Amino acid sequence: MEKRVKGHITERIGSLLVIVVPIVILLIFLVYPVIVVLIGGIISDPFTILVDTFSSQVTQRTLWFTLGQAGLSTLLSVLVGLPGAYFLTRFRFRGRSLLRALILVPFVLPPIVVVVGFLRVFGSGGLIDAALMTLLNASESVVNLSSGILGIVLAHVFYNIPLVILMVSASLERLSPEVEESAEILGASVTQKFVRIVAPQIKSSVAASSILIFMFCFMSFPIVLALGEGRLMTLEVQIWNAFRYFEYDEASILALTQVVITLALAYSYVKLTRTSDDGAVITSYMKTRELAELANRERILVAIYVASLMVLVAGPFIAIVQAAVFDPFAGEYTFRGFTNLLAPGTGGGLLPLLNSLSYSLLATILAVVLGLSLAYSHKSRVRAVPSLASSLTLLPLGVSAITVAYGLMLAITVPLGLNTNPWMVIVVAQTIIGLPFSTRAIEIALQNIDPEILDQADSLGASRLQRLLYVEFPLLAPGILVGAVFAFAMAIGEMSATLFIALPQNTTLSIAIYQFLGVRKFVEAGASALIVAAICFIAFLVIERFSETAQGGTP
Amino acid sequence: MSSPSYPRRRDPAKIAGAVIIVAILAVASLLIVDWMGRETEPVVLRVYTYDSFMVWGDDPATIDNRTFDAFEEQYGVEVRIERLTTDANGIVSRLVAEAANPVADVVIGIDNILILQEEAKSVLTPFTPSNLNLINDTLVNLLDPQHHVVPFDFGLVTVIFDSIEINATTNPELDALTFSDLATPELASALVTENPFFSSPGLAFLLSEIAFQEKLLGQDWEDWWSAVKDDINIQPGWSEAWEVWDLDPERKLLVSYGTDPAYSSWWSGEAPTTSVAPYHHDGNDYAWLQIEGIGLVKNGPNPTIARAFIEYCLTSAVQENIATNQWMFPANMDVTLHPAFDYALHPDDVSPLNDLLSAAEIAANLTTWLDEWENIITSW
Repeated sequence: MEKRVKGHITERIGSLLVIVVPIVILLIFLVYPVIVVLIGGIISDPFTILVDTFSSQVTQRTLWFTLGQAGLSTLLSVLVGLPGAYFLTRFRFRGRSLLRALILVPFVLPPIVVVVGFLRVFGSGGLIDAALMTLLNASESVVNLSSGILGIVLAHVFYNIPLVILMVSASLERLSPEVEESAEILGASVTQKFVRIVAPQIKSSVAASSILIFMFCFMSFPIVLALGEGRLMTLEVQIWNAFRYFEYDEASILALTQVVITLALAYSYVKLTRTSDDGAVITSYMKTRELAELANRERILVAIYVASLMVLVAGPFIAIVQAAVFDPFAGEYTFRGFTNLLAPGTGGGLLPLLNSLSYSLLATILAVVLGLSLAYSHKSRVRAVPSLASSLTLLPLGVSAITVAYGLMLAITVPLGLNTNPWMVIVVAQTIIGLPFSTRAIEIALQNIDPEILDQADSLGASRLQRLLYVEFPLLAPGILVGAVFAFAMAIGEMSATLFIALPQNTTLSIAIYQFLGVRKFVEAGASALIVAAICFIAFLVIERFSETAQGGTP
Repeated sequence: MSSPSYPRRRDPAKIAGAVIIVAILAVASLLIVDWMGRETEPVVLRVYTYDSFMVWGDDPATIDNRTFDAFEEQYGVEVRIERLTTDANGIVSRLVAEAANPVADVVIGIDNILILQEEAKSVLTPFTPSNLNLINDTLVNLLDPQHHVVPFDFGLVTVIFDSIEINATTNPELDALTFSDLATPELASALVTENPFFSSPGLAFLLSEIAFQEKLLGQDWEDWWSAVKDDINIQPGWSEAWEVWDLDPERKLLVSYGTDPAYSSWWSGEAPTTSVAPYHHDGNDYAWLQIEGIGLVKNGPNPTIARAFIEYCLTSAVQENIATNQWMFPANMDVTLHPAFDYALHPDDVSPLNDLLSAAEIAANLTTWLDEWENIITSW
């Protein structure tokens, strides 16, 4: 009897540690640095700074533009992505899982690569323009889709379609075919079926993906900086403008505004995804159709849709592939970019490749370990713990990269003397950026575990550790894998924070791409970008393999 | 009591223990490697500079060895040229963040506009090299009379164009270019410049425009930007701007450096196709003089060697490598220039617009001008 009580107490302490340790880690490496920067910037006279910043016309325009373009980008991403989600869920065809993995690639490309790819396809003098010029026999540029709000929104849509497709198709997969069949037997029309059955099923995943996309576009920086041509700015661009001219007060108040807005969005995202999973039926099979079953008219629609999606999504990607093998100055095809990836020393690609792999792998492991315990703390019965854990997990989505990087530099790197080789801090920054994704994926997988299985393990006399290792972890494995791959993709694509912290010896592939572009080494930049995309593509293929055999959650 | 057919389970505590031990060993070995690396290094002199420092000719590793090996041997130190992936503004931000515990000894690349910012001065210790007489006095004083930084190199920022696409035959105004010419819809739609918040040539162009319009013509500088803001193309940095200028058939004019024709000729081995159009007023040509400095980081770890390094950087051993790798003029006037520099716009060819804007005036007004520029450009 005594022994049981004692065991119970150690278990309690153990589970308390699981909850407390990650929260303390996040408080030290995320909250404290951010507070040092934000509060430090406005402490002198918060009220005057607030009034000065927000009475400025520039701030007001920027705020409205930031919200407006994010709204428009979100709307378009959802509209364009929805048919794709339906298509991918409901049709069986060769290479389906390959296509699913391929469509995710844009999401992980470093923004600077997207900008270059975009200009080369949609810009004045780009592929589309050149084709039209030849077609119309024109000597002047005909069309420029890459500048201004059109370019920004198109680039955001390119970036975020994968999220819509992934999240909505995940919820469509859970729609039980029996429900639809019953509706058909009862004589429901296509519209009725959509309004009454499909729409309610995907409602919350559409809302959740919309909020996530809105947040990404709200924080958008490199795309707006390049395609906005100075005329259009997001809050993030304005923060950089202020930061670069050492106006830390203005930068801090703007960053604080960002945090408040994004945390409100993040909170509603969590609320939505929480309720959505209650009572979701996990089906063992899905209703699918063969492409051949389609009527001709439907087939044409599908073809048009796929073609336009290809131009938008594959266009910039093809431009990158071309950039990787074609040297525009010599006018010849070359594999120099790829051999450079194996070249050691300054300017070679080997060091960035190894750095990228080791930092992102370490960051992924940390993001999964922290994500696991944070996911468990979401289930905690102690009041305030779940919401504290949620806010901490989502905070990285709402704090600008420069704030995190500058904070880590000021509050961690320099006081600890890590600035001669700040690799550990880079790993921390990349962990923080991947954490929302790993935690969400694991949390969803955790919610999907049938409590009865755990009760059975308990009643069969499994210890808590046995239950965790032999029952829960195997059931969580697909969720952990999905989370790990997303965390890895975020880490390997991360540029803004790494850029600020890194010394040349810490250069990652994303930074190398930026440097190569800066000195017009397009072949080397293209090859590096292609390698990043290929690594992530393979990782996504692995998820696909696993999710065919097990039910995984997507963030 | 367990049945014989029940699968044998290993003790989970042992598995967990093994995983933890392996993880600890992995992290510990990484830390040890990191620590050992630090112990075996000789004295390291860290030089912060921007990403494109001396990368426009030979391979960076080659150029660093050729330029700095002699110094390393003489002083028994390792010189690390830390090309940070940012520009001089970003380096100053980093130095501000590191002020409590600096690791860099020397910084190269802070120019005659950036040094006017208090933050830039706050991270540097003024130092007068014993061989400063190698550098022209005018340059030294124009950069910083207090010697927080002393000149390393300099160049002229102005408008350039590809003479195959556009030239004095198609557009005679290029021979005597004024800002009014640049404000015509035709030329404004052909111009690419850089965002002054993110790029030093972009900022030099903004200050050129202010000097030209306000001081030479007595006009309001803001009117020019209001007139061109819908037609002009503003890119974040010089390389992005160059990419647009190169790719877009409509964009024929670029705000860039007067040495570009020299680079074009050196690259192709023929007469350059890139030409320069300095600003013109009343029989005089003008351009903005950008002087990039080298300075001593305040409280850096190796101040004595750092001072010797700064003096070394002013000698011809370093200075003769600037022209064809950095494509700026070496600050040391004794260095013989590569013949390709015959095609460059030389300081003697123009009057610097800097003479029209005093350092005090720039220091007092810079953030106001930038904010006003931001306001004009973003207005609908």
